[in-house]
Amino acid sequence: MNPMEIDVTNIILLVLLILIMIYLVYDSYIKKPRKKTYVVRELLTCTKCKFNVERDFEPGDFIGIIKGKCPSCGGDLKLKAIYAVEKK
Amino acid sequence: MLLEWCLELNGDFSSTVSLVIQIIWIILFLLLITGLNQKIQLKLWILDIRMKLNTIQSILEEDKNKVRNILRNLGVDVPEAVLSRVLEFFTIEPVEIEPTDIIKRMDHLLRTTETSVRRIIEASIPNLGRYERSLIESSMSIIAALNIVYKVIRHYLITGERENNFILIMQLVYSMPQLMKIVQTYHEALESFTQGRPIGDGAGPLVVYNILEKSHVKSRRVVDDTSVIEAYYKDRRIILIKAEGPGSNVGHPGAVLSKVIEELKGGVDLVITIDAALKLEGEETGSIAEGVGAAIGDPGPEKIAIERATSKYNIPLRALVIKMDLKEAITTMKKEIYEACERTLLHIEKILEENTSPNSTVIIAGIGNTMGIPG
Ligand SMILES: [Zn+2]
Repeated sequence: MNPMEIDVTNIILLVLLILIMIYLVYDSYIKKPRKKTYVVRELLTCTKCKFNVERDFEPGDFIGIIKGKCPSCGGDLKLKAIYAVEKK
Repeated sequence: MLLEWCLELNGDFSSTVSLVIQIIWIILFLLLITGLNQKIQLKLWILDIRMKLNTIQSILEEDKNKVRNILRNLGVDVPEAVLSRVLEFFTIEPVEIEPTDIIKRMDHLLRTTETSVRRIIEASIPNLGRYERSLIESSMSIIAALNIVYKVIRHYLITGERENNFILIMQLVYSMPQLMKIVQTYHEALESFTQGRPIGDGAGPLVVYNILEKSHVKSRRVVDDTSVIEAYYKDRRIILIKAEGPGSNVGHPGAVLSKVIEELKGGVDLVITIDAALKLEGEETGSIAEGVGAAIGDPGPEKIAIERATSKYNIPLRALVIKMDLKEAITTMKKEIYEACERTLLHIEKILEENTSPNSTVIIAGIGNTMGIPG
């Protein structure tokens, strides 16, 4: 066994060690799970026909309020739901 | 490739490399036997915690500013005065080693806390509407929670650093990701609360509101911040109980439910409670489960009131829960949860058909924060 071969093993070990350290640092500090973003929407339904429309939420709105007229029959549009949906 | 490259190197260079490697091993060995590696680890952890603590502090400041601005817009000259008072407000838990009447004592303390905080806010902001007051009250309690998280982490960090307590810092550093998640959740919740959007926890009240919309209402009254609505639905006399909306309010559904049962002298055939429940990791958001018992997550007084009243008159007590995680429960209601609320109605109809006959009296209580949901 000449000294050259020992050095080769040492270098391989060192390279492996560095690779593992890079992987661990990447795994715990750099890699971040993709964060989902949500938008808040409100669902308005007509009290007379089956018309319904989804819009962006306006602060201060709550379920049950009358918001505008139905474009197809002229009935009241009632806020049926407020919910968050994932932004695409 | 690497092998060939190494073989081409001359002897001088390779002996330098092996010398360096030797030294590295010796340093590692010395670090290990002197325990100095732990010291380095401790410093790194402390640095990591301090960085995260700074993030929490900036979030806390941002949220405080948000509430200060809201208060200023409502005409409060010195928002700091009222904010700091509510932020540091505390409730001391009742004595537990003497359980006699502990529920009564706890209820008393909880209600006193509620009215005291309300009075502090009302006194500093005159002519404040109920709806706005409820939103401010809840926003402040979110900041108070954030403030506690911040102060406790800071306490353990300073203690651990001063005492060189490896274990303490280690526990803290491994708890930080979870704590950061909680902080982020509260931070997002504040946005929902300042704008009065329905939150996931509002699932119970939303189901009750949906029943209300589909039934023939006979009478309505408000007792103890809680709405009691008598209605007819599917040929049954239904008494709906939910927190009075659309402000941020959880009401006192337990106390009111037991009062209603007493008023009817036990003439109730079935009680159904509907609440949001924390799901286990891996369970689907918005899945519905049914069972038996009082589905309510209060510290005790409301839940025991429901159990006592139903067991006194031997009324079956059924529960329906809509599953979600903590974040989904206190931030704007997700569409999945809204859709689950619609589906819950079918479950209720099934339970009514299986357990009661037409013309029977049923109490349905929707438990949770009714923000954004009227009735
Ligand atoms: Zn229409």
